[in-house]
Amino acid sequence: MKKVLSMLAAMSMLLAMTSCGPKDDANTDANTDANTDTNSASSEASKDDSGSGKKETLNIWAFTDEVPGMVKKYIELNPEFGEKYEIKETIIPTTDGAYQPALDQALIAGGDDAPDLYAAEAAFILKYSQGEASQYAAPYEDLGIDVANAISAAEIAQYTVDIGTNPDGKVVGLGYQATGGAFIYRRSIANDVFGTDDPSVIKDKIGPGWDKFFNAAEELKAKGYGIVSGDGDMWHAVENSSTSGWVVDDQLVIDDKRAEFMDFSKKLMDNDYHNNTEDWNDAWFADMKGEGAKGIFGYFGPAWLINYTMADNCGGKTVGEGTYGDWAVCEPTVGFFWGGTWILANKDSDQKEAVGDIIEWITLDTSETGLQYMWANGTYNPDSPTKDCVASGVVMAKSDGKVDFLGGQNMFDVFVPANEYANGKNLTPYDEKINSLWRDQVRQYSSGQKTKEQAIADFKSNVSDNLAIEAK
Amino acid sequence: MAVVAGKSSGNIIFKVLAYTLCILLAVISLFPFVIMIINSTRSTTQIQQHAVSLIPSTYFLSNMEVLLGKSFDPLKGFFNSLIISSSSTICTVYFSTMTAYALVAYDWRLRKPFFTLIMCVLMIPAQVTSIGFYQFVYKIGLTNNFLALILPSIAAPTVVFFMRQYMIPALPMEILQSARIDGAGEIRIFNQIALPMMKPAMATQAIFAFVTSWNSLFLPQILLIDTDKHTLPIMVSQLNGDIYRTEFGAIYLGLFLTVLPVLVIYFLLSKHIIAGVALGGVKG
Amino acid sequence: MKTKLKGVSYAKWGYIFSIPFIVIFLLFSLYPTIYTTILGFTDCKGLNNTDWHFLDDPFANFKTILDNNSFKTSLKNTVLIWVLNFTPQITMALLLAAIFTSHRNEIKGKGFFKVVFYMPNIITAASVAILFNALFAYPVGPMNDIVVSVGEFLHKINILDEPTKPYNFLVYKVPAQLIVAFIQFLTWYGNTMIVLISGILGISPDIYEAAEIDGSNGWQTFWKITVPNLKTVLLYTLITSLVGGLNMYDIPKLFNEGGPDNATLTTSVFIYNQAFSGNYLYNRAAAASMILFVIIAVLSAILFWIMRDRDEARFEKEKKMARREAKKKEAANKWQ
Repeated sequence: MKKVLSMLAAMSMLLAMTSCGPKDDANTDANTDANTDTNSASSEASKDDSGSGKKETLNIWAFTDEVPGMVKKYIELNPEFGEKYEIKETIIPTTDGAYQPALDQALIAGGDDAPDLYAAEAAFILKYSQGEASQYAAPYEDLGIDVANAISAAEIAQYTVDIGTNPDGKVVGLGYQATGGAFIYRRSIANDVFGTDDPSVIKDKIGPGWDKFFNAAEELKAKGYGIVSGDGDMWHAVENSSTSGWVVDDQLVIDDKRAEFMDFSKKLMDNDYHNNTEDWNDAWFADMKGEGAKGIFGYFGPAWLINYTMADNCGGKTVGEGTYGDWAVCEPTVGFFWGGTWILANKDSDQKEAVGDIIEWITLDTSETGLQYMWANGTYNPDSPTKDCVASGVVMAKSDGKVDFLGGQNMFDVFVPANEYANGKNLTPYDEKINSLWRDQVRQYSSGQKTKEQAIADFKSNVSDNLAIEAK
Repeated sequence: MAVVAGKSSGNIIFKVLAYTLCILLAVISLFPFVIMIINSTRSTTQIQQHAVSLIPSTYFLSNMEVLLGKSFDPLKGFFNSLIISSSSTICTVYFSTMTAYALVAYDWRLRKPFFTLIMCVLMIPAQVTSIGFYQFVYKIGLTNNFLALILPSIAAPTVVFFMRQYMIPALPMEILQSARIDGAGEIRIFNQIALPMMKPAMATQAIFAFVTSWNSLFLPQILLIDTDKHTLPIMVSQLNGDIYRTEFGAIYLGLFLTVLPVLVIYFLLSKHIIAGVALGGVKG
Repeated sequence: MKTKLKGVSYAKWGYIFSIPFIVIFLLFSLYPTIYTTILGFTDCKGLNNTDWHFLDDPFANFKTILDNNSFKTSLKNTVLIWVLNFTPQITMALLLAAIFTSHRNEIKGKGFFKVVFYMPNIITAASVAILFNALFAYPVGPMNDIVVSVGEFLHKINILDEPTKPYNFLVYKVPAQLIVAFIQFLTWYGNTMIVLISGILGISPDIYEAAEIDGSNGWQTFWKITVPNLKTVLLYTLITSLVGGLNMYDIPKLFNEGGPDNATLTTSVFIYNQAFSGNYLYNRAAAASMILFVIIAVLSAILFWIMRDRDEARFEKEKKMARREAKKKEAANKWQ
């Protein structure tokens, strides 16, 4: 036994030297390899645009083509930038859980192939801005951006700043969207049940507070409608309106508002207030078209849900087709936010200035040629003019949020105030996993297979089993 | 080989049962393909309404447009996948047969320990060793290089195991001996006598190896980060990963395009499975 | 003494032919494996942790894992799902292999059937998972359409008091496990069948001819000739299915993320979750891998032992024959 252990120890030392050893080694290694790579790549490139000189490569990492698309747009608008730099995009979807391991390894390994600019979404941004991987994120001020002044000048939504601020208090990531949520409801159903589709009336029917929401559910049920499609719709509102996140001081905490969700889910189920769908499943989309088992009154969601999901799934493209134009937004039952993408830069990047230029254009530029203005006003991509809420209050103030999908309502009237409810204080780096464990157990309870106590106990045990985080 | 028994009632029952079973299984087995093909002609909304339908629709071209519009380059993905899969298939089959031959045809001192080692490798859970594998590949600078996916296939314990099991009853030592008497060298004996005798087994394993390599997603996804080097499955998984606007029609079309080349290769090799290349003849 | 020397003279080729495997194995497999083994004894967790140490109690991680409820559940699930899928799979594969290699009952279109039966194995696990998710979707989906219309029919003819509601297959444990087992069956029965067929085709037709002359019927031929001669290939099938089954990862992970309520959480999914989903507990993942490895190794050893005698005896016999031949040849060479 002793022999085996000493052998293991010796081997591990050998490993430690090779694997986790001094960074410089790894860097030089990677550099030499990478050099040969870039050389071949640039020689190919120079063949293409002959004589434009050697370009520097910017590595962009993202989980959809959205952010790389923005960088391309930036180059398109700034040809002189395109003469100096070329981009190499790496897109790895978050499905199958491949994005984070790959990004982590690339950040750790460093070298010329390492990402210069990378994107992270709400589900895991904290890991890169405040958690374990925050060591790789460059403060914006090191990229030549006058962050503090720019943020206040652009009136960037505070929660996106909070989330993107590292433990040293420096901003390392900002988003371009604002994802404060609203309640998005069907006008025709509102007229049928409440006699009006006026957002200022409807908002008082469904809130504030969940008691009013369930009263409305009862009224809707009397006329044969469901208030939401599934309990998941409610979860997004509950999750981000809670006071504390899942983990406080390395211990699992079930916030009262989140615990209450179990009762809500059960109530929805037992009283048949919904179609019992799961978000992102076919039946959930079908309810957007009004083709579910019963008509569904509304969804909780931010502006992107309207433009990217509901508009594409409403069964039509102009007013009158499907449910297009039959929607309106009002203030939600509780304030919340959902989703969003943050942009970070690698602190070891050789191209800090260029990366800084791009990041500033995406996250802080309030001019009409800045990304956010185009993003908010549907001029970013003329082929599919969708409008979205953006992080800068200045941009929002001069933008027009009138959308046909909402029957001509200016959605920004509702979404701009909604962003104030959003706060980044209840996120943790473990949310994705813990949420899925939680909702699994809630479903077990609401479908009547478990008692509430049993479900909570199993939830705690699953969290401890999977993440080694014990309940308080 | 005359048919001994006549057309007894037992035979008829046997045939009825056999055909019923075969047809039932054939329907179940073809079902996923039919759905894939039909759904690739349907629009996203149609699919969301009824995920399964037997009636094709008219959205094939528009799905194709969506697919090609999404930085999806099936031709490039196809060639990348083809290079990786065919090289690793050749490596797997050839070198595994060679290793199995070493285990069966020769009597050497470390033979048994070596076989035990191979069996142990076969049993190691793959999920976690991938951490170490990735680190190693990164360190020797083989990321973004097809070799990182091709070379490891030389050591394929499952295939060695199969070849060994197949070789034990099927490779008569007498033939090797007589070849030696004729003065053939060991390498020639392997390449020209043993290898041809293993054809059915090799064809079977070649299909398996090709399919596994073609469909593998996790390792290529973290090793081939350069867009130019992406394989077809990576491209399709990216379609699926666009959470805001999932284009189901295009996804099914992508899935179908991914499976199509494997089907072609499979049909090409399947004659070995059907005919089974009469081993007995060689054995004679 | 002399014979031994002569036997050894070819032995070096055994080593030579093993070189490619060994080199690649040393390069690409050994390092990751040792790395994993070692991590199991350390406190290495977290992203890019360069400062990890051996634990004072070297088996602390192993104890934690063995105490872990999810791990225990995952072991039970893995075995259950494997048995649920492997029993019908091997039965069906043997049956089909027997039908297709039957000398006296030629099935028309058997080439077609053989080709078709393997086809489910060609599709990626991800596609299969997407497809089955769609099939069992709730509240509207193809399976639920059937459930509802059958319920309606039964209601009309007064067997049921009220029409059935759609059934949420993916929230209840047993259906979820059955579906995963069925997907495993569907994707692998053709593969097993082909392996068995190629094994049967490797059996010398002479033996069958002899049996037919002796007047044995199909049933007897199958059990007395096919199965015993198939033993080596059968062992291969059993071992690889066991290893593959206990390492089952793709379908449970992609179909329902191990849910509902951990019902389809297999050990490999558990291990993956330990290492990659959230907290980077590499050390615990490594320990769990080692435990799984030991379980698989023990079960495989048992299988080898059960199937051992004739396989080995035969092997030894052939070895002896080869030696004798070598001796003869050597002698012949000498006299030449």
